[in-house]
Amino acid sequence: MDLLESLVQAVEDGEDEDALALAQQAMADKMDPLAVVDALTDAIREVGDRFERMEVFLPEMMLAAQAMQKALEPVAPHLELLKEKRPPKGTVVIGTVEGDIHEIGKSIVALLLEVNGYTVHDMGPDVNALDFIKKAQEVDADVIGASALMTTTMPGQQEIVELLKDMGLRERFIVMVGGTPVTDAWAEEIGADSWAENAMQAVAVLGKVMELRRGDASATV
Amino acid sequence: MPAPPYKMWEILERARTGPFCEDEAFTMDRFMPKMQEVIKKYGIEYDPATPIPSDDALADAVWQAGVEFFLEVGVLCVDTHRILTFDESEVREALYLIPGQYTVGLGKDSCLLRCRDVEDEDPPFVIFSPDISCDEELFLPMCVAYLREPLADGFCAPILEESMGLKIKAKTPTELAGSMEHAMSLREAAKLVGRPGIFLVAAGTAESDVGQISISSSDWGVRTSDSRLVGGLTELKIDNALLNKAAHYQQFGCFTGSLTGPIFGGYAGRAEGTAVLQVAYHLMGLLVHQAHYQMNFPFHIHYTSGTSRELLWVASASHQAVARNSKIISVSNGFLNAGPATEMVLYEAAAHALTSTVSGANLWEAAPARNKHKNRATPMEARMAAETGHAVANMRLSRKEANDLVSKILDRYEEQIADAPLGSEFRECYDVRTSLPSEDYLGLYRRVKEQLATLGLQFPY
Repeated sequence: MDLLESLVQAVEDGEDEDALALAQQAMADKMDPLAVVDALTDAIREVGDRFERMEVFLPEMMLAAQAMQKALEPVAPHLELLKEKRPPKGTVVIGTVEGDIHEIGKSIVALLLEVNGYTVHDMGPDVNALDFIKKAQEVDADVIGASALMTTTMPGQQEIVELLKDMGLRERFIVMVGGTPVTDAWAEEIGADSWAENAMQAVAVLGKVMELRRGDASATV
Repeated sequence: MPAPPYKMWEILERARTGPFCEDEAFTMDRFMPKMQEVIKKYGIEYDPATPIPSDDALADAVWQAGVEFFLEVGVLCVDTHRILTFDESEVREALYLIPGQYTVGLGKDSCLLRCRDVEDEDPPFVIFSPDISCDEELFLPMCVAYLREPLADGFCAPILEESMGLKIKAKTPTELAGSMEHAMSLREAAKLVGRPGIFLVAAGTAESDVGQISISSSDWGVRTSDSRLVGGLTELKIDNALLNKAAHYQQFGCFTGSLTGPIFGGYAGRAEGTAVLQVAYHLMGLLVHQAHYQMNFPFHIHYTSGTSRELLWVASASHQAVARNSKIISVSNGFLNAGPATEMVLYEAAAHALTSTVSGANLWEAAPARNKHKNRATPMEARMAAETGHAVANMRLSRKEANDLVSKILDRYEEQIADAPLGSEFRECYDVRTSLPSEDYLGLYRRVKEQLATLGLQFPY
């Protein structure tokens, strides 16, 4: 097994110290940092796919993500170069709506978006509608992702859409909603842009919506 | 009392003074490694061939692992970033002080809610509950339909999304209005069907602490003979709002149910960790929430249901662990994949009730269609669970016999779990005016019951 394969294996196994040491070795050996990042990204995606296939579960996925973070530390000095060549797929502000303290589903979506190349700002649970928007403005986000786990907190998602309209910002951000009781009919009713039933679907749906938006933007340009 | 009142304040104070810990560190550095450690130390292994294990040593190992895990990890308060920790003598004291039974409800409708043994010959206490939200105009007919069920010892009503035509939002005046409407209509329904004193668990519409506190009234709202629920955050975490609920329920004087759903595939990992965590949650309920009973809904991270083979094992192993080692009153909540008026949902209800009953739990039934779809629940799913629970106890079924039976029932639905049918809404299979099931659903129910009888289940009637 060569160095890169060993690094990928360490990330997939969630061995953060091994991943760090192997990434340091890779940089010392003057390996192409882009090749290293690509391999790490493939590794974490593979772990995400295994999660979807129920071959691994959250602990393994979280340990793999932690190992990837460790492996990226020695590669970080080269990331400016990476950014020029590979801009992030998009920036997402995500959280659970006000009054709702549940967050595991939202955290899984955040994790999967991050490993799929998005820059993610996770605001945690119980987030006020205006705070979502302020944060999205602050980080120049493309997407606001709002999760709700209770039927009586779902109106918090509607509030985000309504505030965006009243602030004249509705077209500025993609609004994505999710959570156990949230359905596509609810997303349509409140005027959200997209809805996903689970975390993996969220990644796929957002990819399509972003593609569409980019297509529209270039058409306009 | 599950613990002396002075302890409540002493323990709640730990949310202010306990060891500092951040959220992520609690889960990554404390919770996850300790879980793997206790699973290994106590040699706990899930066996897909026995969704209902008969091994007492396994049940005791799950109990010991759960106790050690709880003592080592504690409970994090996410508002104060402090861990509430406990020592072994406190756990022993709390376990010793449990009376093991309470008379709940009022007058002629009062019943005994008690802890059960593994392979107990007495039927389970059955709380009927649709566990979903409903249209405002359906609330009363649905309540009446559930309260008419003869095997319902208690009832928890559906959740309102609107009150007086306004969308209910938690922590706002609409929630206060909706919670009041919920509590009042529920009492009205109970009186209408002639069970005014039935044990009620209310009000699911009140998600926030202020919502719950606003409806404590023995005159028109939730009475001291009724119950309220207080939950946890994923996993082994709480916040100040939950502590507010716990403290208020004690001071008001109603029965507290600790509501927790460990996630299979979540931070606890697979079946083994989910079962261990469920035991730990019983101790959190007892010591932090000062609860009178523990309500459990372990569920699958992808399906959000509890009737797959692994989840039945979780329910069985953890309830056996608790029943064999404590007098904690435990209630098992069925989360079913399929929706109402389908064969699958009735088989799932039977499998869940069979597993839980023989393993020493009481029943809380049932959340069809993965607890996700508005109006998609009826009393018939709960009826099947209740009749199955009574059958299991009356037959004095052993765990071995129950395992053989549940394996046959699993054969009837297991392959459909990923694509379970959504079924019908309440108004599609019930007459809203009379609150009675349609002939079609009654026919389907009879056919499935006959099939279950063919497999070996002897229903009481």
